[in-house]
Amino acid sequence: MKNTITVVCALFSLGSATIESRADFIPPGFLFRVFESGVSSGGEACNFGSVDQVSATEWFFQGKHSNTTGTSMSWSYLVDPDPFITGTFSLTNDTLLAKSYVVDFSLPISPAIAQSTVSGQMAGTLTDSNGSGSASMTSTSGGAVYTALADEMLVQSLMSNANQTVSSAFGTTSFSGGSFGQGLPPLAGPAINSTIGIRFSFTLSAGDSVSFSSIFVANPVPTPGALAMGLLSGLAARRGRRRTD
Amino acid sequence: MNLNKTCFIFGLRCIFGCLISSAASAGFDSSGASFSVTSSAGSGTLVNVPTQITPTAWSNTGSWTGTNASVTWANDIQGWNSTTSAGFTNGNIVIRNNTSAAQDFNVTIAMLGNATGPLVAAGSVGGQYVNGSASLGSLTSTGALWSAGIDGATVNTQLNNALFFAQPFQVVSLGSFSFNNLAMNSITDRASILFSLRLSAGGEASFTSAFSFQAVPGPASLALIGFLPIVRSRRRG
Repeated sequence: MKNTITVVCALFSLGSATIESRADFIPPGFLFRVFESGVSSGGEACNFGSVDQVSATEWFFQGKHSNTTGTSMSWSYLVDPDPFITGTFSLTNDTLLAKSYVVDFSLPISPAIAQSTVSGQMAGTLTDSNGSGSASMTSTSGGAVYTALADEMLVQSLMSNANQTVSSAFGTTSFSGGSFGQGLPPLAGPAINSTIGIRFSFTLSAGDSVSFSSIFVANPVPTPGALAMGLLSGLAARRGRRRTD
Repeated sequence: MNLNKTCFIFGLRCIFGCLISSAASAGFDSSGASFSVTSSAGSGTLVNVPTQITPTAWSNTGSWTGTNASVTWANDIQGWNSTTSAGFTNGNIVIRNNTSAAQDFNVTIAMLGNATGPLVAAGSVGGQYVNGSASLGSLTSTGALWSAGIDGATVNTQLNNALFFAQPFQVVSLGSFSFNNLAMNSITDRASILFSLRLSAGGEASFTSAFSFQAVPGPASLALIGFLPIVRSRRRG
C-alpha cells in the first residue's frame, strides 16, 4: 500500500496572502509529493511551508513536516519556470523499520520548449541519526536514486544501484551522485511541453536520515530563425557604430 | 558457604544498582532545545516545533526566515537515556542566501541540561553546497565552519577555514568529517553545535551533523568488572 503526501506549495499561507495584495505575484505550481510504502499515513495537512519571489522569474519554496507515520522532512528549493529546479531535501525515517520512499518534485514550465539541452547533478549525505552504529541508503530495486523528468518522462538518471552506508554511531557519509550535461557540447534533451521534475527513489534504514542536494536545468536550443535574428541584430549594431564613427 | 555466596552476590547487585541509578539521575532535559540564528542579511523570524518521538527523544523542526535568507532544520535531540547513559543532537540543516550579495550566517543548536561526568563524546558533519546563481559561487568560513561546545566552550571543530567554489548551477559535496572518544567533564548547562559560514549570492549550504556523549564507567564500575571473574571462579568452586 502506498500513501501519498501531496504538498501544493502554491497554496501556502504566505504565498496566498501576498497573492491577494499583488496581482502580478503568481507563484508557479511547484508540487512536492512523497510516497511511502507499507504504512498508512492517516492523511496529511498540506498547508505548511512558504514561498517567496526572489527575482522576476525565480521563486523560493521552503518548509518542513513530520507526518503521522514517523517520517520527517524539510525542503528548500529555488525554482524558475524558465526552467530550473535546485535545492535540498532532507528526510528522516523515525520508525523502527527500513522504508522505501519516492519523492517527486514537479514544476510547470513556461514557455514550452521545442528542443532542449539539459544538465543536472546531485550530492548527498547519510547520517546514523539514532546512534545504532549503522545506517544505509540504497536504491530501491536497483534503480536510480535521482531521475530527471520532463513531462513526467525520464530524461537522465544518476546513482543507479546505490549502496551508501555508515558504520559508526552518529556517523555521516557524504557522496557525490554524479552529473550529466555540464560539459561541452551541451547534452540534447527532449521537447518539453508542460513540466520538469526530479524524482528521488531510495530505501532508508530505520532511525536514520538522508539529505540530497540537486539541480535540473533545461535550456531551449535556439531555433534557426532565432539564430538568424541574433546574427542580424549583431550586424545592425556594427553598422550603427560605423555610422557614428 | 551458600550464605556467603548469596551475601556476596547481593552486595554486588546493590553496588550495580547504585551505579545505574546514579547514571540515570544525571538528567538531561530531553525537551530542552535552543535554536538561534544571526545573519548579516538582517533579522528574521524563528519558529521551532518540538515533537516527542520517544520518552526521551524529541524531534525539532523549524526555520528562521529573513529577507531573502533562510535557515531550516529537522533535528532530533535525546536527553539523558537511563538505558544507554547517552544523549545526542543530530539532524539536517539548510542555509540559503537569496540576496544579491554574500552573507554571513551563525546557527546554534543547543541541548539544554546537565550530565555528570566523566563523559566521552563523538561527533560528525557532512554536507553539500549548491550554487543556484549564474556566477561563480563560494562557501567559506573564517575559522571553524562547524564546532561543538560544552557550556559555551568549544571542545571540537571541523571544516576549519573552509573554502569551496561552485560553478553556476552546480552541486559540491563538502565531504564528511568526524571525531570520537573525546573525553569531557560534566555538562552543567548545555551541549551545542555551531555553524558559522559565509555564502555567496544565490548559495545554499546543507549539512547533516551529530554531537553525542555518553557516560564513562567510573573506577568503581571498573572495579566491579574486575570482580566478575572472581565471582565466576567462586561459583565454579
